Order: sequence, then C-alpha cells, then structure tokens
Amino acid sequence: MKLNIEGLLVYFPYDYIYPEQYSYMLELKRTLDAKGHGVLEMPSGTGKTISLLSLIVAYQKAYPLEVTKLVYCSRTVPEIEKVVEELRKLMDYYAKQTGVKNDFLALALSSRKNLCIHPEVSSLRFGKEVDGKCHSLTASYIRAQHHSNPCQPVCQFFEEFDAVGRQVPIPPGIFNLDDLKDFGRRKGWCPYFLARYAILHANIVVYSYHYLLDPKIADLVSKELAKKSVVVFDEAHNIDNVCIDSMSVNITRRTLDRCQTNVETLQNTISRIKETDAAKLREEYMRLVEGLKEANVARETDIYLSNPVLPDEILQEAVPGSIRTAEHFVGFIKRFLEYLKARLRIHHVVQESAPQFLKDIYEKVCIDRKPLRFCAERLRSLLRTLEIADIADFSAITLISHFATLVSTYSKGNLYDYDFHQKTPTIANPVLHFSCMDPSIAIKPVFGRFQSVIITSGTLSPLDIYPRILDFRPVTMASFTMTLARTCLCPLIVGRGNDQVAMTSKFETREDFAVIRNYGNLLLEMSAIVPDGIVAFFTSYIYMENIVASWYEQGILENIQRNKLIFIETQDAAETSMALEKYQEACENGRGAILLSVARGKVSEGIDFVHHFGRAVIMFGVPYVYTQSRILKARLEYLRDQFQIRENDFLTFDAMRHAAQCVGRAIRGKTDYGLMIFADKRYARADKRGKLPRWIQEHLTDGSLNLTIDETVQLSKHFLRQMAQPFRREDQLGLSLLTLEQLQSEDMLQKIAQIAQQA
Amino acid sequence: MASLSEEVLLVVKRVRQRKQDGTLYLMAERIAWGPEGKDRFTVSHLYADIRCQKISPDGKAKIQLQLILHTGESTTFHFSNGSTALKDRDATKELLQQLLPKFKKKANKELEEKNRMLQEDPVLFQLYKDLVVSQVISAEEFWANRLSLNTVEHSLSNNSKQEVGISAAFLADIRPQTDGCNGLRYNLTSDIIESIFRTYPTVKQKYAENVPHNLTEKEFWTRFFQSHYFHRDRISTGQQDIFSECAKQDEKGLKSMVTQGVKNPMVDLLLLEDKTLDEVRDCHGAGGRPTDAPSDQASETSSTDGNSRDSDFFQLPLKKVKLQESIEYDDLQGDSGRKTIALNLKKSDRYSHGPIPLQSQHYTTSQDIINSISIIQHEMRNYKPRLTQVMSSNAASSAITALSPGGLLMQGGGQQTINQLVPTDVQIELKHLYTAAGELLRHFWSCFPVNTPFLEDKLMGHLEEMLQAAYSKFQVWQTRRMMRKT
Repeated sequence: MKLNIEGLLVYFPYDYIYPEQYSYMLELKRTLDAKGHGVLEMPSGTGKTISLLSLIVAYQKAYPLEVTKLVYCSRTVPEIEKVVEELRKLMDYYAKQTGVKNDFLALALSSRKNLCIHPEVSSLRFGKEVDGKCHSLTASYIRAQHHSNPCQPVCQFFEEFDAVGRQVPIPPGIFNLDDLKDFGRRKGWCPYFLARYAILHANIVVYSYHYLLDPKIADLVSKELAKKSVVVFDEAHNIDNVCIDSMSVNITRRTLDRCQTNVETLQNTISRIKETDAAKLREEYMRLVEGLKEANVARETDIYLSNPVLPDEILQEAVPGSIRTAEHFVGFIKRFLEYLKARLRIHHVVQESAPQFLKDIYEKVCIDRKPLRFCAERLRSLLRTLEIADIADFSAITLISHFATLVSTYSKGNLYDYDFHQKTPTIANPVLHFSCMDPSIAIKPVFGRFQSVIITSGTLSPLDIYPRILDFRPVTMASFTMTLARTCLCPLIVGRGNDQVAMTSKFETREDFAVIRNYGNLLLEMSAIVPDGIVAFFTSYIYMENIVASWYEQGILENIQRNKLIFIETQDAAETSMALEKYQEACENGRGAILLSVARGKVSEGIDFVHHFGRAVIMFGVPYVYTQSRILKARLEYLRDQFQIRENDFLTFDAMRHAAQCVGRAIRGKTDYGLMIFADKRYARADKRGKLPRWIQEHLTDGSLNLTIDETVQLSKHFLRQMAQPFRREDQLGLSLLTLEQLQSEDMLQKIAQIAQQA
Repeated sequence: MASLSEEVLLVVKRVRQRKQDGTLYLMAERIAWGPEGKDRFTVSHLYADIRCQKISPDGKAKIQLQLILHTGESTTFHFSNGSTALKDRDATKELLQQLLPKFKKKANKELEEKNRMLQEDPVLFQLYKDLVVSQVISAEEFWANRLSLNTVEHSLSNNSKQEVGISAAFLADIRPQTDGCNGLRYNLTSDIIESIFRTYPTVKQKYAENVPHNLTEKEFWTRFFQSHYFHRDRISTGQQDIFSECAKQDEKGLKSMVTQGVKNPMVDLLLLEDKTLDEVRDCHGAGGRPTDAPSDQASETSSTDGNSRDSDFFQLPLKKVKLQESIEYDDLQGDSGRKTIALNLKKSDRYSHGPIPLQSQHYTTSQDIINSISIIQHEMRNYKPRLTQVMSSNAASSAITALSPGGLLMQGGGQQTINQLVPTDVQIELKHLYTAAGELLRHFWSCFPVNTPFLEDKLMGHLEEMLQAAYSKFQVWQTRRMMRKT
C-alpha cells in the first residue's frame, strides 16, 4: 500500500499494516526532518525492520540530497541477512508499483569468512585463519613480490578485482552475502573487497555494529561514509556493552610473551632491511616528520569518521622524535613491555586509574605520556614499511600498542580504570584488564558525524537511560505498544511454591532445597500443560548446573522427561547449535521439548523461538550481572560519579533488560502467542516491574503478581485454551491490523496518536 | 500317530496339562502334548498360531510354561519331573524362543496378507468372488497376477502405517521394587526390552554378542541396570564393564554430530558473531590507495574448486527458505499468498454434467447455457411490465407447472442421468461385470509378448474360455435386464 506520512509518499510492501507501524514511521519521519537522533522502542514481531526501511528509503527517494545513505547496523549475521531480504521485498514492491527499474544499490558486508570465495582460504574454519591467510595473499608487498617472482602465490580474485573492479561500479540491486559471492564468482572478483569498496557509493549498507563502533575496524571500513547518512542501530538494547568491549583491552602473560617474540621479529627485520634497503626506512622517517597531516586535513574537511583511538590532537602534531626511527620505536616498545611484565608479576589485586598508571610508568621507566599516545599509529606505519606478511601473528603487539594509546589518551577525567587481577587464587595468572567505563567514547564519533542516528529495539526500557549512558541528545524518544486483537502474551509472576515458600534466586536462598524443588515443580507442571516447546532461562551456567544436578537427584528431571525431551545450552557454541536443531526437531514432530538456557548467553541474544518453538518462556530468577566483579564495581562507581545513576538502578535496569530479552524471544508477531513466566518474587516489586518494556507491563495485571505454582498452572491453562481457538484476519482487522481505508479514518488516526508514548 | 514322519526336536516327559501327566513333543512345525499311555495328541499347536510364551518366575513352587495363541486361548504346561523340571522347562523355553520368531515371520504371512487385501479392498473382494468363486479363473492365477502388485502395495501400506514410538518415560517407568532384603527387582517385558534396544542400539549389539554364551539373560539385564544407574552421568568407567564401550560410542556419535555442524543456518551459533580481526593495514580496500595492478595475471587461469562451490549450492536453498520464513508476516500479506493448484480439465462439460443418456439429442454446452442466461438476464433488465396485456392466471399457473421440475417442459432435462434411469442392483451388477471383464482383459494382455510355452498355453487354452465365460455372464445380465424392462 501507499502511505502518506505527513506529506511523504511511502511505499509499504504489504496489503495491511499494523497501527504501531504507522505510528513508528511518523516518529521516524519527524526525527529525520529534525536531522537529529532518536530512541524508539517497539516490540519485536511488529515489523520494525520493514517500517524503518520503508520510511527511510522513501525519504531517500524524496530528498536525495538530504539523506544520501542508510547505514543499518544489526548484531548477528542472520539478522543482517534478514534485513537485506526485507529490503529486497520492499524494492521489488517499488519496481512493481512504479514500473521503474530499481536504481538503488544495497549490500550487506560481513567478515571475510562469510564472503571469501577463494577455494583454499574459504575452506578454513575460523574467521581469524581466513583473515590471516587472506592477508598473506593480498598484502601489497606480497603482490609486488609476485610481480618480480611469479611463483609467489596471490589471490586471483583480488587481483582481478584490483585490476578492473574499481572502474566498473557494481550495478544497482540488492546484494545479500550470497548474492555478493555469486556476483564475485561470475566476475572473478573478490566479493569482500568489492563490498568494502562498494559501500562508499551504495545507497544502503547493512553490516554489524563492529564496523562502526569498534575503532580498529571502523577506521578501515567506515571512515569515509558520507556525513548525510542515517545510521540505524537495530536490537540496540546492548549497545553500551558493545561500545565498552570495543574500547577495552585485556592483557595476559601469554599476550606479553607473544609480544616479546613479535618485538624480536621486528628487530631482526629492521636490521635486515637496514642492510638491504635503508632508503625505505629513511622514507618512512620523513613521512613521520611530516606528521599525520593528511589524516588531519581529511578529518577537518569532514571526509573521515574520526577514530577515538586516534584523537584529534594527535593529528596536529608530528610523531615525537623519540620513537621516530624504527630502532628507537622498537626499543621504546621493549621498555614498555618490560614494565608491563614487571607489573604482572605481582600477587595481589591492584586497581588504578589511568593517571596513576601513567605516573607510575614515568617514575619507573621514564616513559612519557606523549610517545605512548602515538604508539598505535607508529606501529601501523612500521608494519607497513617492513612488509610483514602475516599480520595475524602480530596481534599481540598490536594489542599492546592500542593499550598504550588508549591509556594515555583517555586519562583525563578518569575515564578508564584498569586492574590487575588474579583469576584463580591458587595459580597465579594475572590479567591486566583495561576497562572502558564510558560507552559514550566509542559511539561519540558516530553521533558527532552522522546527521541522524536511530537507536531501536524491542526492549529499551527505561528509555531515558540510554541517552544518559551514551551521552547524546535525542530529538525523539518514544515507546510503542503492541495493539492486539487478542492478548497473545501472558506475563505471570510466580512468587511462591505450593508450599508457600518464596521462590527467588536471591543469593542467600538460591541454594535452598525448597527453592530448587519449587523451581523444578514449576517446570514439571508447565511441561505437562504447555504444548510443543518451552524455553527456560537461568541466571548463570553455574546456577543451571547446580539446579539440574539436584533436580536429577530428586527425580524431578525424570518426571519432566515423561512429558518432554530436555536440551541444555552449554558454553560450547557448536554443541549448543546441535542441541537447538534437535530441540526444533522435537518441537516439529509434536514430541515437545524443553530448552534449558542461560540469560545473557548466545541463545538468549540471538535465537528466536517463533510459534510452536516457544509456547512458554520461564525465567528462573532475576538475571543480575555478577556483582562482585571489580570491573563492574568500577563501572558502577563511574556511572554514579559521572551520570548520577544509582548503582541499584543500573543493576536492576541491566537485569530487567536481559529478562525482557529472554521472555520476548517467544513472541514474534501477532499471530504468535506465548506464556512469559517470571519465576522470582522480586519481579512483583514496582521497581522491577516498572523497568519492563511497556508492551509487557501493560498485560501484567495485579492478578498475575506473586502467584503460586497452582495458580500459575490454572491461569496458563486458561490462556492456552483461549489461544488455541482459530484466529483469523477478520478478528484482527480494524483493531490491530488495518487496511488503507481504515488507516485513513479520522478516529483511527487519533487512536494511533496514542500508541506512541513519548519519554 | 498321524505325524510320526515329522522330525521331533525335543521330547519332554512328565509334563502335566490339566492335571494329567503326559509327554510334550516339540516338532519342526508344531508343539504337541499327549497324555500318558495314549498314542495321540490331545493338544497340538502350530508354531505359527502361537503368539508368545510365558514362564513362571524363578523360585515359584510350580514350574510352568504358558503358550498364548493368536486367538487369545492359552495352554499351560506344568513341568513336574522333580529335580530336572527347571532344566526341562528352560530347554523348552530356549527352543521355543528360537523357533517361534521364524514361524511368526513366515507362516500364514501370505494367507494373512491375501486376507488383509481382500478385507481392505472391497473391489478386489468382489472381483475375487466374481472370478474365483464362480470359477472363471483359478485362485492361483488370480493371485499370481496380483503378487507383484501385492509386494509393492505391501511396502507402501507398511510405510504409511506409523511405527509405534518409544515412550519417553519407559526408563522412568521401570521402577525397581525392593524385595525386602536390600535388593532390587526389575520387571522387564518384551516391550521394554524392545524400547531399550531401540533407544540404545549399542546395547542390542552387546546383547547379541554376549547372550546366551557369555551371560544369561538375567545377568545381562542386571548388569545393564547397575551400569545404567551408576554411570548415567559418567563417561569413563572401568574396562570390565561391558557397557562402558556403549557409553563411549554414544559419546563418539554425539561428537561427530557436533563436528558435522547443523544444517539450519538460523540456529548455528557459530555463525552469529560477525567481528573481524583487527586489521593493521590500509594498503588497499576501501580507504587504501589503489596499487598498481600487475598485468601478468593472464598466466593465472581461474580455477575454482568444485567442492566448495557444491557445498555452497547445497546449502543455499535451505538458507533461502529459512530466511524467507523468518521475514514473513502472514497477517500483513493479502490473501493471494495461498497457492492452489488449478484443476486442469480438458472438457469441463463432462466434469460438471457427468454421464448423461445418449438419447437426449440436444446437447447444450455450458457456453450455450451461459449465453442463454445472459440473454435472459439482459431481457430481464430491459423488461417493462405492460400491465394492460397480462396473461390469464390459468395460463400463467400452467406455464409455471410446466417449468417446475417434473413438469412438461422439464422432462429429459440434464439432471436425469443414467444412475436415475437404471435400478441400483442392475447398476451394481454392471459394475461388477465391468471390473471382472477388465481383470480378464488384463490377464489377456499381460500374456503378451508370448515368450513362454506356459503363456501360450494360457492364451490359447483357457483365456479364451474365460472370456467366453465372462461373455456368457454378460449375456445373462443383458437378458435379465431386458426382461425387467419389458
């Protein structure tokens, strides 16, 4: 259908529309009009992606000069591919309606592992290996050597692409990962480099968060993206953690040992080159004297996305003299390495702020702050000059250089904390955690550069916390509910067992025999009444192990097995994938199954349980993060000092967003239905309940708080019986599903206006 | 003794049946019992008739063996030969155990199968009655021609019948009972054993290897349960345990499954993450300076490896399907989404009218009808009542009766098809004749090409007779029909 969103003609590739989709597009349009950032929460399964794409594509077509590019970031590879497929649907619809051939170029970008078509390289199993092997075939000096010595192997796909690929632009169309590979095979070009090149002129780019947030990757891939782009972060409820991870460094003794070998290799290479090709080193020296002026010019003229690892001030200066020559720099790194080694020899936990660390390093080995800041850049230049073939080998020294730059750059304002930390008390295995406390550092360049950044997810409640922790000022913040013709979700809070013993995963009582038994009874009872699949989430792997062990001893597990098959998530991804597939098989053939899983685990973050794959989700306990961790404590302290966010508020917020993520896995649309069982009495408290997304909270009545197991079973039975009735389009039409005419009616528009709740 | 010529496999003396002493004979095809001092059997069962045997538990005073027949009857033998009674019973049991399964498979299978086919297929049954019972062709011939069909059909019907699954709780259901003195007793039925074998194929293998030469059945199961309950969550057990190997094999199977990976890319957690290694260069690619391309690439013929390509093509469709599935919103889509298969009719008239008697000369096609309807509709639309020139009410009512079903003008109209003209019994008879004749013709044509003397004989000799017989039958029917008409 064709929609009129405040004067903008939007093609929507379906015959019907959900009211909240219309409302969502309205808010989105206002955000784009204002050229500002937005935070939008809409339940999963209400067609968020297609609404986003429809509106932004329409906007791009209407105002090609205002918005030149859409950068869509999602979290997982399947998600990325889904987005591209939805986009394909939209573009097909455009072509059908307008009769004009699609002139948009949209493509997905992923790591080499998912795009490589080189027969040998692509058969490697791990992404790291693929990257390393690829580099050893495509590095510029390898290719130069190939020029003089044809026996040196190179990648013919890259050669082909390099020879002609850049002159001929990739034709308009929608290119998913497999399409890129096909295209690459047909042309004989490397799809990965083709995609990386093509994102510069593509109208729509879909890739993972890291390509924009991780400074090491963003600098290579996304540096030149146009300023007039709209950036969308989908499934963004965890974005702060991604930011923090991308700016944090962990250093172990192993890293240092490997770094040591790296340094030696560097030294040898330098002395060899000095004998053979001294001019090369001299050339580099001159370049460094010139400074990083080029980069500076580029950034000032807004061509480049700035890189938080390479702060602006550095660009204006030349590389300090002390590390300008190759030997001096290697000596410098050696000294730094020795210092780190000495620090890792300690046997107790130390926590320091960055300035303390810098002061210490100055006193002990006379290393100044300034050269430290140039470490990353200097190493990069050196590796390039020395023509190192396999960069995968040099990851250790690269890590150290990043650490050096980060610790010296963000010392102001106490942005970083790091600590020395013994993991196992008996074996000394010190780890240096350099933890970023402030997620806003990594994302700041993104907010600063692009005109509109949209943060969206099914679970972003409470909305106001994201602008605070990410330090930006949105023009719109809205939460949308799910309009429902029938209440297809049933959140229930179970607080007690039938014996009236409180059910909770609180630390003091979680090992309590009665609590574990009641949890078991809950699962047993539910397994008897819920058809097909049940997913149960625990707060941690250890807790799950303990509980399952004692269920086994008590014979509860055996009784559950009478009703359904049981599958368990483990920390091994391959094993869990297998379990997942078998779980689905068991659900498909009517046998029914239970998946025991862990909140914050891979399953809870990336796998949907549509329809019969998840008729009930049980959340055993409140998934608080492990609060004794020093890193977390430091972060909480930082949040309190910088943003005035109380520790408890943040912890609850974090736990509730994960709980909401877990239970939300079962509902993927209005024709779907599922029970959401929160098995912990603490959920009934207002401060917990209030942090659940609005679309769940709405259906939490007073009658569904603090139930016993029996009451839960009764309510669930009633709900399931109702949901099992046939559900037709007519039941939805006019309420939660609209035709174009219905959408245009006056009172419907009024109703729609109420769907969005501004925060 | 009628069956002295039979091979006697085992003779057990002093076996009581209905409080009478006697001797039990196990022969090649049947089990028989005769009372003491008489030379005839009062009890005789073909092995094929026996469904199963049951034995009294160890330790009971009476040592008995019960045979249960397919009909539901049962016969109990009491072994009363004092000290050797138990041995006698076990010997009988063992032998029966070996013999029964053989007969179960072979005996009666054919007859049962024929019976089943006749019961399940009324048309075939009728055909059988018409051709075999009325002795147009012999039963062998009738079945000989069916047999090839038979096997095909058999396998088909076997496939469509679902196997009974294994109860999830079968292990939980084998509740051991305490026997009062710190021991456990398990009651195993053949169903449970079957379930165990199906769940753990390796156990079945072990059973075949060890029972009865290394272990007795009882010992085997005792060990199984000890090991099962003790080691359920342990992989590495002692070497002396015969089941430790089973556990290891299971583990190996699981491991190989894991290494094979999953087929559905949407649940593959290994593929979720998309994070590239930090790269330490910018020499080419998106932001890099273009390097001079070497021009000697012509020497490199692009040879793509067939393997990787194949696997890709293999994987693609499933992935595409799963992706499409995951982005579909069935309630947002219009109704057009449901795909139906159009009925492809060569002559739609035949389909909508069915067979009609040939005497109705005026054959109207549906196009004619549609045309006339549209003409009438058109006329109706332009109809202006001329109230001054109406018909008389008599004339009008007679016109209405003439136009009503059964009226003057409605006779011979479409609806009266052959099934209304001919009485049902004649119809049924005709149908039978038709199928019987069809069957005979099938026999006739299946003789071609004539490449064996048997076929030639069949063709020349009695097929002609048969067809003759069939024709005379038809003649009878014809005359009867004529008689009825007149």
